[in-house]
Amino acid sequence: MCMYFQAGEIKYLLTLIFLSFIIAPAMPNSHQVTDTIKVQKKDTAKVQVKDTSKIQGKDTAKVQVNDTTKVQKKDTANLQVKDTLKHQLPDSIIYKQTTFSAEELMRGERLFYGLVYLEKKSVNCVGCHNTSVSDTLNWNPDALEISRKYLNKNAFDLSKILLKPLGKKMKEVHKGFQLTSEDIVLIKAYMNKFVDIGIKQNKPVITNLLLLIIASVLFLLSTIDLIIRRIFKNRRVNWVIITLTGIFITWVLAVNAIAFGRAKGYSPAQPIKFSHAVHAGQNKTDCNYCHYTAKISKTAGIPPGSVCMNCHLLVRNGTRSGATEIAKVVGAFEANKPVEWIRIYKLPDFVFFSHEQHVSAGEINCEACHGKVKEMNRLYQVPDLSMGWCIDCHKTRKVNLSNEYYKTYYSDLYDSLKAGKIDSVMVTGIGGRDCGECHY
Amino acid sequence: MKKYWKDIESKKSKEELKGIKQTSDENSLSGLLSDQRKDIPASRRDFLKLCGFSFAVSALASCQSKIGKAIPYVIAPNELTPGEALYYASSYISGNDYCSIIVKTRDGRPIKIEGNPESGITRGGTTARVQASVLDLYDGSRFHGPLKDGISTGWESMDKEICSKLQKIVEEKGAIVLLTPTIFSPSTEAVITGFLNKFKGSEWVQYDAISYSAILEANKISFGKQLIPDYRFDKADLIVSIGADFLGTWLSPIEYTKQFSSRRDPEHDMNWLIQMESNLSLTGSNSDNRIQIKPSQEPAILLNIYKHIIKAVENRNIDTPASLVDVSEISEKLLLSAGKSLVISGSNVKQVQLLVNEINRLLGNIGHTILFDSFLKTHAALESNMEMLIGKMKKGAVNALLVWNVNPVYTWYKRDDFAEGLKKVGLTVSLSGSPDETNSLVQYICPDHHYLESWNDAEPKKEFFSLMQPAISQIFDTRQMADTLLKWSGSTIQSYDFIKAYWVNNLMSRQSEFSDPVTFFDHTLQKGTFEPATSTVERGGKIRSVGTISFDPYSIKTVDNDGKNIVEIVLYETIALGEGRQANNPWLQELPDPVTKICWDNYVSISPAQAKEYNLNDSDILNLGEVELPVHIQPGQAYGTMGIALGYGRSKCGKVGDRVGIDVWRMLSSDKGNIVYTSKPEHIIKTGRIYPFAQTQTHHSMEGRAFVRETGLKEFKNNPSAGNEMHAFNLEHNKSLYKERKYPHHHWGMAIDLSKCTGCANCVIACQAENNVPVVGKEEVHRVHEMHWMRIDRYYTGEEDNPEVVFQPVLCQHCQNAPCENVCPVAATNHSSEGLNQMIYNRCFGTRYCNNNCPYKVRRFNWFNYSAAGTLTGNLRDVEGMTGDLRRMVLNPDVTVRAQGVIEKCSFCVQRIQAAKLKAKYENRALLENEIQTACSQSCPANAIVFGDMNDKQSELNRLITSGRRYNLLEELFTMPSVNYLTKIKNKIV
Repeated sequence: MCMYFQAGEIKYLLTLIFLSFIIAPAMPNSHQVTDTIKVQKKDTAKVQVKDTSKIQGKDTAKVQVNDTTKVQKKDTANLQVKDTLKHQLPDSIIYKQTTFSAEELMRGERLFYGLVYLEKKSVNCVGCHNTSVSDTLNWNPDALEISRKYLNKNAFDLSKILLKPLGKKMKEVHKGFQLTSEDIVLIKAYMNKFVDIGIKQNKPVITNLLLLIIASVLFLLSTIDLIIRRIFKNRRVNWVIITLTGIFITWVLAVNAIAFGRAKGYSPAQPIKFSHAVHAGQNKTDCNYCHYTAKISKTAGIPPGSVCMNCHLLVRNGTRSGATEIAKVVGAFEANKPVEWIRIYKLPDFVFFSHEQHVSAGEINCEACHGKVKEMNRLYQVPDLSMGWCIDCHKTRKVNLSNEYYKTYYSDLYDSLKAGKIDSVMVTGIGGRDCGECHY
Repeated sequence: MKKYWKDIESKKSKEELKGIKQTSDENSLSGLLSDQRKDIPASRRDFLKLCGFSFAVSALASCQSKIGKAIPYVIAPNELTPGEALYYASSYISGNDYCSIIVKTRDGRPIKIEGNPESGITRGGTTARVQASVLDLYDGSRFHGPLKDGISTGWESMDKEICSKLQKIVEEKGAIVLLTPTIFSPSTEAVITGFLNKFKGSEWVQYDAISYSAILEANKISFGKQLIPDYRFDKADLIVSIGADFLGTWLSPIEYTKQFSSRRDPEHDMNWLIQMESNLSLTGSNSDNRIQIKPSQEPAILLNIYKHIIKAVENRNIDTPASLVDVSEISEKLLLSAGKSLVISGSNVKQVQLLVNEINRLLGNIGHTILFDSFLKTHAALESNMEMLIGKMKKGAVNALLVWNVNPVYTWYKRDDFAEGLKKVGLTVSLSGSPDETNSLVQYICPDHHYLESWNDAEPKKEFFSLMQPAISQIFDTRQMADTLLKWSGSTIQSYDFIKAYWVNNLMSRQSEFSDPVTFFDHTLQKGTFEPATSTVERGGKIRSVGTISFDPYSIKTVDNDGKNIVEIVLYETIALGEGRQANNPWLQELPDPVTKICWDNYVSISPAQAKEYNLNDSDILNLGEVELPVHIQPGQAYGTMGIALGYGRSKCGKVGDRVGIDVWRMLSSDKGNIVYTSKPEHIIKTGRIYPFAQTQTHHSMEGRAFVRETGLKEFKNNPSAGNEMHAFNLEHNKSLYKERKYPHHHWGMAIDLSKCTGCANCVIACQAENNVPVVGKEEVHRVHEMHWMRIDRYYTGEEDNPEVVFQPVLCQHCQNAPCENVCPVAATNHSSEGLNQMIYNRCFGTRYCNNNCPYKVRRFNWFNYSAAGTLTGNLRDVEGMTGDLRRMVLNPDVTVRAQGVIEKCSFCVQRIQAAKLKAKYENRALLENEIQTACSQSCPANAIVFGDMNDKQSELNRLITSGRRYNLLEELFTMPSVNYLTKIKNKIV
């Protein structure tokens, strides 16, 4: 009897969980970074808690601190004392500080997250300089990039950029910063930790996987119950659960199997925040200007650094990105190093695709396959690059038979087209479905 | 119909065969599974563990998608388009071998060598060695930088040290010697002259491993010119060759093959080749009449021919010893085609060559088929110079020795003398680029570039110039030999500028087309060759006055030709390895010899009669005194002779070539200052041990079907489809259940003219390079797992002791009723709308049904992961290091690298078809004539392979396939192949 009761409980529990997970995706995703303020709040909270525990363990082991506010108070008090001492020191000495106490690091952190009021105004760094990987194109350098850049540099260099910004965008944002040299040193000291720990990666969304597991468990339980009849006396309930979960499991498996090894929508973060929307969209640069081998070669080509420099010899400041991103291009070129882009469109080794064939001979425009690149800040893969996708296009795309080549070898088709016997010849009509056209 | 047989086993009756124990169980499943793991105890648990592990690994490997990178240039080179091939005209020079070539590069890497049709010498032909040379570029065993006593050092310190030492030797009036092969590059010669002038008292010695000194010296005596003349095989109606394998290895084989096969078209004037030889050579296999002789009989035979001819021409009688061969008929024929005949000898005995000269002079061939004005410059070394050098070295009279590209410690008949002398030389420097036996003994190594990294020029034949240009920047820290010598000579000029200046100063005046030096040089560089129109070379048949001949036929020594008792050894070069320069090349090592079909080894060839006498079987190991070698019973080997290949048994060439075969250079001897390429065994003892060969010969026998069809010239003249009567019969009677397919647009096809094909195996390597065909190693070939897409079948006909030979290149026949296509369960092989039999690797899952059902056995299965393309590393089988990063640079990016477990086969070079079609569409035109060339057809030195569109009625291909000689392989099966063969026509005396 006891067993029976428990099983009955599970029944409601499982159905509840199942329903909750179906509803879950409909609600705003907590992992998605939608608002910088939100992130700021969340992150600060976390870091504070984590760091106080550290301090407890290490430096102030004797002092039993249970409240974060207490630590803060103590810190500020300590710092005040130090501040008065330091005020007598010249900046050049302050910038040379290399060892920091836990309290000092704490202040650096608070400064970074905008928790310290400077002249009645809070400035936060994290608002623009992310501490976690972003899904969208964030023009500003993230915390890791900055910390890497200044790791081996003096805090004085950082102060220059903070207090006397150069780029248009930076001038606007960094306007009226009231940071003292000590604060800058502390911010830098705090940010050095990003070099070691990096920035937070987005955790993969596991909703589907959890759902699949739960559905599978439900499916199994119902199947067993169908046989032993312990939970539901009415078999129909079991049948309904089995059917529903069965459909769900099959659907998940099918969708994932089809997408296996494909990368539709793949949009990795690139080493340089390059925006096609800015270059091809706003500035109306022709695709073939940079990808100049698309018409004459198998590959469209990634533009060499020298092509970037055609414009960026003069253009050193972006409207949105400021100088940082362009400086990377210029720096790589001057250091004679190529930029290592992350490849997005990638076919398996056994497929031979030629841009020349499609762009020049087939007269297809770039958007047909690559989508509206002109609107993409961060480039992503539009088609799934499956063979079905290729063949679908070959089946429906008309061939321009006016080329001398077709006139010579496909004269029968050309003549009947002219005579009006057929209205069009698709790519499949000229061998576009032969395996050996692409696989050899 | 004649009975053809492929090897002695298949000629034996079935009853005989039953008695023979199956010696090799490697082909059976148990053999395959047992492998070499017999000693490892493997249980079912291990098997299950492995199973589980491999599942886990494959699951993990497939889940993880690699992050690919796209890395552009910083500054893109102007001439380079990523993804497109770039071609450079250049020259191949390796020792005495020369070929004018076009190098195909992809993204800065040379990946394929093609013949240069612009050359008047090689005319677009190549050899297997030329094709394989691109792989040598990516040989990791090449020197990576300068070495001093085996320790790596820098160029600067090296230069300083060597220069000061050389300077000191000059001051002390010592001797500096530069040892090279024959130099036929005008600019290198100028560089060397500059070096000799700088270091007074220095000397230059040329030494060739395979010597032609007897011809040089005989010509000096006969004609007053110490030269090798220009032999014109295309002008000769009758060729009598005594032991000269001019289609395979003799002097300039590409040029001679082009000339010879241009006269093998039965519709035009066909030539007639009589070959007298001991080994069954490539030339002998292609001869119309072949006579087996022992080397010692050569003088007697030539004397008897001479007797007949001098009787007829000058009406003089001379006494000669009797010849075992009746030469009266040959002499008659020679007299009939006087002035249009050619007598040559492969012997390196001066007296024999003098006799040959005298015969040719009497026949009036000098100035017609033998030209002295456009003489060959590739072979000019005399042994006497080398003997003198070694004498001096042993006396300690040589203070510095610089060696470049010669390897006397391996190839000189008295190698110990050389090595001993080398120890007494104060300063020894090697300028060679790759390790060998000689430079393992020197103090300094200043490595040279590979020829594909070098600037150079060549004049292989008088007034036939060509340029060599780099197709890749140097891979290792090497420096071109010319640059090294220029530097040591105190010159600041680089070899490129030196060559350019040399050409502008010396050669520009020979032409009138360009007046600007830059345009002249660039144009020539692009073309690759320069054959001045204002040449003084006589290219017609003008008779030249000949110097007085001082030859006394009585002086010739005819060895007692009592052949019964004495066994003579003939030492020869193979098609693949030659003198062994490219021994570290896995493609060449795995190339089956055209005649014996054995790869990865050398062996003793003996005649079947002799084998019976000594009670020998194939693979028995023989002791011949100094060496022990396995036996290969060779039909057509002259009785009383043995053939052994030189160029094997290298000890210091690198991982691939070391200890492959047996080194027999020590068997050479010297007679009157000329190296003799014959020897006698100390004794012949059967050791009782067995050495299995890797042989591609015995997997399938003929079963009495007419694979090769053949007829005589007379029969052909009467009936163009003579010997091919069954073709009409088959056409009439063949019926198919399937509907006939139509190919209205393109229908790709090929014609192979068996009359022209010499079986030289160039196409095999050309295909391997183009199509990323893996190397499998000796063990795998032994298990009949070789992967060549193109193979050359060789069939014997006639008597076992004196067979005739036919060659037949076999590749995928691209059948219209393909038996392989019907049986594939996943449609991984199917037919294209252009008549190609397609093989889709990514679809194939390895049932091998197609392989089973293919009547031509042209499909190859990847039993193991030979190419490292598979995701599972456990099955990698790469004994020859072909999957290293450096070696993989040779791969063609336009062809899939096949993984383990899939079938592969000839694709008719579909990547080239696709590229040419696209180019035509891009340029808005129809395809040009011969625009599409497969790898095998492009560089065929015999022009035997023609590829094209069978729908194009104007094409050369169409002319061939509509001739009466056309037939298809196994046409009675009605597979309707797209590869067509043309009946072999022999021009024989019947």
